Amino acid sequence: MIAVEQRITELRTDFDRSFAAPMGSHDVEHVELLAVQAAGRPYALRLGQTAGLHPDRPVTPLPGPLPALLGLAGFAGTVVPIYDLAALLGHPIAERPRWLVLATGAPPLGLAFHELDGHVRVPAEAIIAEAAAEGRRGVLRGMVTLDGATRPIIDVPTARAAVHELAGHELETTEGAAS
Amino acid sequence: MMAGRTFGFKLAASFGLTLALTLLMTATSVLALRYVMTTKDDVIKSATTSLVGAEELSRTMERRIGGYRAFLLNKQTEWLNATNADRALFLTQVNNLRSSLADDPTALKLLEAVSTDEATHNTVVSDLITKRQNMAVLNIDLLNDPRAKPARDALLAAIDALISRVHATVDKATTESNDRATAAIIFIIGLGLVLIVGSAAVAWRLSRDLRREVGAAVGHIQSSSAQLEAAAAQQANGGRDQASAMSEITTTISELLITSRQIADSAQRVSKVAEDTADAARTGDATIDQTRASITAIRTQVDQIVQHMLALGEKSQQIGGVVDLVSELAEQTNILAINATIEASGAGEWGRRFAVVAEEIRKLADRTAGSAKEIRTMIEDVRGAVNTTVMATEIGAKAVDAGSRQFDDATNSFRRIAQLVATTSDATREIELSTKQQTTAVEQVNAAASDTARASRETEASAVQTRQTAAHLGTLSGDLLDLVGSGRH
Repeated sequence: MIAVEQRITELRTDFDRSFAAPMGSHDVEHVELLAVQAAGRPYALRLGQTAGLHPDRPVTPLPGPLPALLGLAGFAGTVVPIYDLAALLGHPIAERPRWLVLATGAPPLGLAFHELDGHVRVPAEAIIAEAAAEGRRGVLRGMVTLDGATRPIIDVPTARAAVHELAGHELETTEGAAS
Repeated sequence: MMAGRTFGFKLAASFGLTLALTLLMTATSVLALRYVMTTKDDVIKSATTSLVGAEELSRTMERRIGGYRAFLLNKQTEWLNATNADRALFLTQVNNLRSSLADDPTALKLLEAVSTDEATHNTVVSDLITKRQNMAVLNIDLLNDPRAKPARDALLAAIDALISRVHATVDKATTESNDRATAAIIFIIGLGLVLIVGSAAVAWRLSRDLRREVGAAVGHIQSSSAQLEAAAAQQANGGRDQASAMSEITTTISELLITSRQIADSAQRVSKVAEDTADAARTGDATIDQTRASITAIRTQVDQIVQHMLALGEKSQQIGGVVDLVSELAEQTNILAINATIEASGAGEWGRRFAVVAEEIRKLADRTAGSAKEIRTMIEDVRGAVNTTVMATEIGAKAVDAGSRQFDDATNSFRRIAQLVATTSDATREIELSTKQQTTAVEQVNAAASDTARASRETEASAVQTRQTAAHLGTLSGDLLDLVGSGRH
């Protein structure tokens, strides 16, 4: 009971301190990341490259030759194609993913993954940047160390390009303009 | 012929033979006497009837002659009647003689001559009587008849001749009778000699048989008495041995009696112990009932514990449901915070302030989720502990059941032991009773053994007496052999 009361006191103190902290901590030196898991492997997503996070959304299956295309889902009156992130990364499809993250830009695109490990905020220097690569390996750009484990960072615009490539399109994206 | 017959039979046969010979002799003597008597009777008859009749003829004729002479003298009717009566008597006597002399023709012939001479004489006499009747005065000369004397002489001579003949006949019969009597005497003497010889033979045979058979029998008696003496001596020894053996038996039975009484005492003690055991078993029965009630109470308590534990598990599951709800809410809050952060990132400076709030909300949601996860872990621990407790309690309940069953078995065994103890108590009482009866029986056997010992001593005494009697019998049989004449064997 004493430990619980101590935690309650700590929580209350943290909560009160959050109102007293300066706003400077919310600046460009920090990067917002989503720690996710696809097919049991840890990855990270830049929160700035997403337009929304949704769990357990109904996905209507769409017949087609692409195993990565899970189907279509509706978001605020817009029909969005949903692609399996694990399939895009070349992992075998294990089970239906629970989580959806909407990519920024147009046309709308939804990426599905299995587990959400959390929302983290890391300093920008904690991210190890790397150059863009060709093909599927180009989807992963950079790595970050979270809780002692290294996670590859999925670049959402590259993933959109890979999806377009899979679908046979050569469209100009607004990715660059958005970032 | 007499072989194989009893000595009494032989004796009876000998006496019977002797008696038969005596009877034969007696009968023969009687017959001989009868014969001699008949012969003598004939002689007497001829002597009395014929000789006396013939001599009476003479006397009657003399009286007739006298009668008619008296009539002739005095002519009195009295004399006439008398002479007529004498004549009638004479004729009657002649007729009688004729019948008695029927077996002698010579005498009959002489009698007929007498009859003829009498008729002649009667004719003469009748003439004289008639003359006298016609004569009023006696004239003797007229009455002198020359025929009278020859007729009278002839008649008397004829009568004398008859008397002589009858005399001769009587003498001859007497001689014959004497001869027959002599012959009868000789026959009887001969028969007597035969009888004496037969009786002597029978007596000799009887004596020989008596000597031989009685001798043999007495010899047997002597040897048997010797054997009897030996047997009596042996019996006396046996009786003595038996008496000593019976004395030992009596001693042994007395010891047996003591042992039997000790057994009876032991059986009584065992019976007492068995009754105490039965009482203890009854007390143990009450304790068993109490223990059974305690076990039942434990079983009920264990059931209640299981129920309470199951209820606790159910409640913790309900808490888990609430925690799931809190987790869901925390997750949704987290998602909302993330989305708010996403939205805020595109909203400039205000958006940045809102992002700070969203950050705090997200932190709270994370902490809530962490606390919910801790609660979830605790609840899982609680449920695991509840499950472990339920399992342990059920194992305990099963152990209690098993213990109850074992206790039932133990109770049954104990009750069976109690029954067996009761049965043992009964059996012990029966043993006690039987042993007492056995003691009584042994006492009776002891008394009977004492009686038998006394009887054995009496048997010994009587055997000694029998031996003495047998010796006496041997002496007596020797004396009897001397009496019979066979001598001592």
